[in-house]
Amino acid sequence: MKTLWLAAHFPALGLEIHRQPMADGDADRPAVLIEDKRIVQANAAAMRLGLELGMTLATAFAIARELMHFERDQDTESKRLAWLCLACYRYSSRVSVAPPAGLLVEVRGSLRLFGGLQALANTLEERFRGLGHAAQMACAETPAAAMALARAGRPKNSSAEVLRDEDMKDATAALHRVPLSCADISERQQERLSNMGLRNLGQLLALPQQELGKRFDQALVDYLARLSGSKADPRQFIEPPERFRSTRHLVESIDAKETLLFPMRRLAAELQDWLAERQFGIDALTWRFKPLHGEAVSLAVRFAKPTAKQTAFLALSRLRLERAELPREVMSIALAADSPTPFVAAAADLLAKHQAAASRAELVDRLAARLGNDAIQVLAKVDDPRPERAWVPLPATASSAEHRRIVAATSRRDGFRAESADTSTNDTETRETAIKRRPVWLLDVPKPVAIEDFTLLTGPERIETGWWDTVEYRLSRDYFVAAAKSGARCWLYRQRSKPDERSGQDGERNGHRNPKWYLHGYFS
Amino acid sequence: MAAQFSASGAASSTARALSDHALWQTEAGGIDTGFAALDAAFLHQGWPCAGLTELLCDISGIGEIRLLAPALAALCRNEERSIALVTPPFVPYPPALEAMGVDLARMLLIRPREPREALWAMEQALRTGACSAVLGWLAETRLGFASLRRLVLAARQGEAWGSLFRPTRALENASAAELRLHLLPAAGDRLRINILKRRGGWPLSGIELDLATEIEQAQGTKERPTLSLAGVASNRQSV
Repeated sequence: MKTLWLAAHFPALGLEIHRQPMADGDADRPAVLIEDKRIVQANAAAMRLGLELGMTLATAFAIARELMHFERDQDTESKRLAWLCLACYRYSSRVSVAPPAGLLVEVRGSLRLFGGLQALANTLEERFRGLGHAAQMACAETPAAAMALARAGRPKNSSAEVLRDEDMKDATAALHRVPLSCADISERQQERLSNMGLRNLGQLLALPQQELGKRFDQALVDYLARLSGSKADPRQFIEPPERFRSTRHLVESIDAKETLLFPMRRLAAELQDWLAERQFGIDALTWRFKPLHGEAVSLAVRFAKPTAKQTAFLALSRLRLERAELPREVMSIALAADSPTPFVAAAADLLAKHQAAASRAELVDRLAARLGNDAIQVLAKVDDPRPERAWVPLPATASSAEHRRIVAATSRRDGFRAESADTSTNDTETRETAIKRRPVWLLDVPKPVAIEDFTLLTGPERIETGWWDTVEYRLSRDYFVAAAKSGARCWLYRQRSKPDERSGQDGERNGHRNPKWYLHGYFS
Repeated sequence: MAAQFSASGAASSTARALSDHALWQTEAGGIDTGFAALDAAFLHQGWPCAGLTELLCDISGIGEIRLLAPALAALCRNEERSIALVTPPFVPYPPALEAMGVDLARMLLIRPREPREALWAMEQALRTGACSAVLGWLAETRLGFASLRRLVLAARQGEAWGSLFRPTRALENASAAELRLHLLPAAGDRLRINILKRRGGWPLSGIELDLATEIEQAQGTKERPTLSLAGVASNRQSV
């Protein structure tokens, strides 16, 4: 059976990759793409103002002061193209990149499934638009012809002519009208051909090929042969999109459904990050609950439209979970997403994000202007075993890059180890539960207290940096959750005297008989 | 709901209209508290998402922040706006905040040197619409009826949930806040809540929440809202 190729050409790809994160309101502003200080792409608003391709940026600015301009970024363009190819994978497994700004899908086998050529082309075009890219689509029996037609774009209102399945003759006629600038012919040759009075592919194909080969080169003849299908044109197909797989093993088996939601939330968060990194979304996912003995139970969840939000994953999963029969004693939970597909958040989400960031910046500026920069801060965690040093305030006016720098500079880099010698549990679970035992309010300076005023509830959790650390970092404390007589939940610690040392940095000189206690926080 | 928000700022109401409500807002338009017993008692079946709440308590460490945690976590997950703390009494400890589901990047810590500036700062944070929630600890001397009224209006304008922590002696004075709660410790890490003032209802005393367990669940069930799992569970505990 003959192949049938659907080509998509993205005429504004270079601009679109820059404009993607922008809010809707910017769509009407003139924008141009610059390469070597000259305009190589312009949007409709820029064209309306009279800007032209090839114009210098200086001239363009003289015409349109509002102009937004972006430097061409071919690297990102080719990445985006590969991503767009992945978006076609669910319509055909034979998808191929056609640089610089196109892609090819072999659709013969997919026609019936997706309701015919026109329907499939519309679906794909819609899909690309959803991802933020306008595409020109065309179809032909050879990839080269399809691509040339797509680049030529369709004259308005006659799209059906090219895409209707039955009359491929029209396609041939259309191909003959394609100007040479849309073909894969080098610029130098295009110029020579045009000097000979040749304007379109029809004229070129009508010439005796041997003659052409002599006057030009074999590459041109080869191209024309691939165009008409007399020479094979093998294409390299893309690899299918990656899949998401993750499993969490539980330290203790879980019986209650509501308890399962905690590890499920963690997995869903992991999936959300994974998807965000790849700009993917999913429309189905599968949970797998494996018991200690017996068969695992799978729970498939489907979404009406692709989504990449943890909240959406969990909301539906919970509903399914309520009705599902789960094994007793679940020991591990796995989450799989088999068919992730390129996805961008709805424009509404982007807009909300945009506005929130803008209004936050405005608030920060206003407060800082009146109260000073140190009066408005954000908090960050720091990698330090000492609770009082495990955080750092950062000026809210600084950039996030600046924040990262400060946090990195504050973190303890060299091989400390916080020993968590919890008496009750151990291993990974300890960390999780230990974190839950951190109080919301921390006292800047631990306050000495009399232990008689408290009832110890849980603990000890030992926080210790050992002998290998410098004196400044050395500490050894047993932390307890305690109830004060007033009813308050407090975070207390007992200063431990180290066996190999008489006094620690807090200056305590107590034996085990009369340990010194400190209040370090409140579980508010 | 529309009538209540008619005075709202235009910019933030667009953002609000566009953000996806269903997951964190209760059907009646409040911020899901994460505690079934409270949702049932509040007018919008949740914290007022554009208004002022007063929390009266004299001692720290009885669960006054954990009470708000499920709602704060829901706001972080489902909104892009920030959460501001105005002159908190202690250091808000980042590892604990994170464990509660609060996104540190969303937090703004506002600590003016002058107490009188704190009131102004809280009003700004509420009014601009940049924050979904603003928690404030302000000097009592500054909190006359007029300043409380300003905070209420600012919260409505910015569609923000303002929470004001005050000592119980504030009880003696009237307040413009929509919701006033008196928080007391109860046996076994339970929090006893007396509702002193609420819209659409009489005062109500003696709601008890088992925070230790409920929070455990809130952490496991971040998505809680609207669905019944957590609801069933919390009913069981509060009986």
